[in-house]
Amino acid sequence: MEHAVRQWLAESRQKLQTGDLTEADLQGLEALLTEPRQLVLYLYSKSTNMRSAIASWALYDPTVPHEPTLPSQDVPYSSVIEAVNDGWRIVQFPRAELYQFSDVDNTYLGYEFILEKSTSDL
Amino acid sequence: MIDIQPTMDDSQVMDFVSRGSVVLEGVVSDDFNRQCETLPAGRINEFACTPDFRNEVLLHPEVAGVARSLLGRNFFMPITAHHHLYEESHTGQTWHSDGLSEYGYGVNHLQCYYYPQDVTLEDGPTMVLPGSHHRLVDREAIAHYGDILGQVSLTVLAGTVVLTHYGIWHKAGPKLNAKRRGMIKFSYFRNAPPKRDWLIESEEIPPYVNRERHLYANEVESYRDMARRQRTWNWLCGVDTTPDVSHGAKLFIDARPLNEIVNE
Repeated sequence: MEHAVRQWLAESRQKLQTGDLTEADLQGLEALLTEPRQLVLYLYSKSTNMRSAIASWALYDPTVPHEPTLPSQDVPYSSVIEAVNDGWRIVQFPRAELYQFSDVDNTYLGYEFILEKSTSDL
Repeated sequence: MIDIQPTMDDSQVMDFVSRGSVVLEGVVSDDFNRQCETLPAGRINEFACTPDFRNEVLLHPEVAGVARSLLGRNFFMPITAHHHLYEESHTGQTWHSDGLSEYGYGVNHLQCYYYPQDVTLEDGPTMVLPGSHHRLVDREAIAHYGDILGQVSLTVLAGTVVLTHYGIWHKAGPKLNAKRRGMIKFSYFRNAPPKRDWLIESEEIPPYVNRERHLYANEVESYRDMARRQRTWNWLCGVDTTPDVSHGAKLFIDARPLNEIVNE
């Protein structure tokens, strides 16, 4: 971040001399000083394969207010691999040994992939 | 003793086994729905024991008929109720099952939701996940789940009663307005061993006819669901020797046998 701010200062001094410094430049500085935030996406795949269909999903975005939004049946990505292709990085893969079961009992929704993006990626 | 007649046949019981709920759309009278317009939020046990509530809701032939079909004769009648009232917009609850889920093969506890007013999608309808009563989970460990394929928002007409298996995953959905949205929750319990004494055409017990796969279920889960449904069906018919474990069952029984109440 320090390098980026120094670069901004050098450019802004030139703009100041020519009278070209604007509000947009100040907003640019503000953006440089704001730490990136992590966005988290849970995708529940129907198997451990990243190309499997998605059964459930949840996006946690700390940069937007927590306000009511209607439920949806529109899957954001058809598969984990499609989300990765859109810039999401996987931070947790489902581990097969955690999905043991006995007899005929089902438990949690599986298989849980946790992905992240940074606000700086947007 | 009042003779509550069963209303469900084999096919409808099989549907319940798969979905975990029965929706009785608009069965309670408009007059009684209006009586609930000023009910306060929270416990309404006194109201639940009034003759009006008993006759208009708890002993309504269609409502009690489902309880009679799934829980047998002389089931336990509710003597408590809780009014879940929302008057402001909110983000909704997280997915959960109540209490300790009462997970098991049997059907011992029907938790019911009565809506005295119309509920639209913007009013924060209760959401349920069909088939989730067959999943054993820690209720706090499903709180991060978001949208799930196959989830159902209970957008209903005034006077609707929904009877659910106690363990079904549910939540109050997000509410986008400041309209009053009330739901009165109460429970019936089993008081007799299971037997196939709902509406039947023949004494011969039919095999369970499997229902469609839930949208969120994968291949192996659908096989397990099929086996679970067969076990529950056999248990309800009184022919399954599998012990019903019903983990955590009967934490909150506040009820009295039907014959005690109607003979008062």
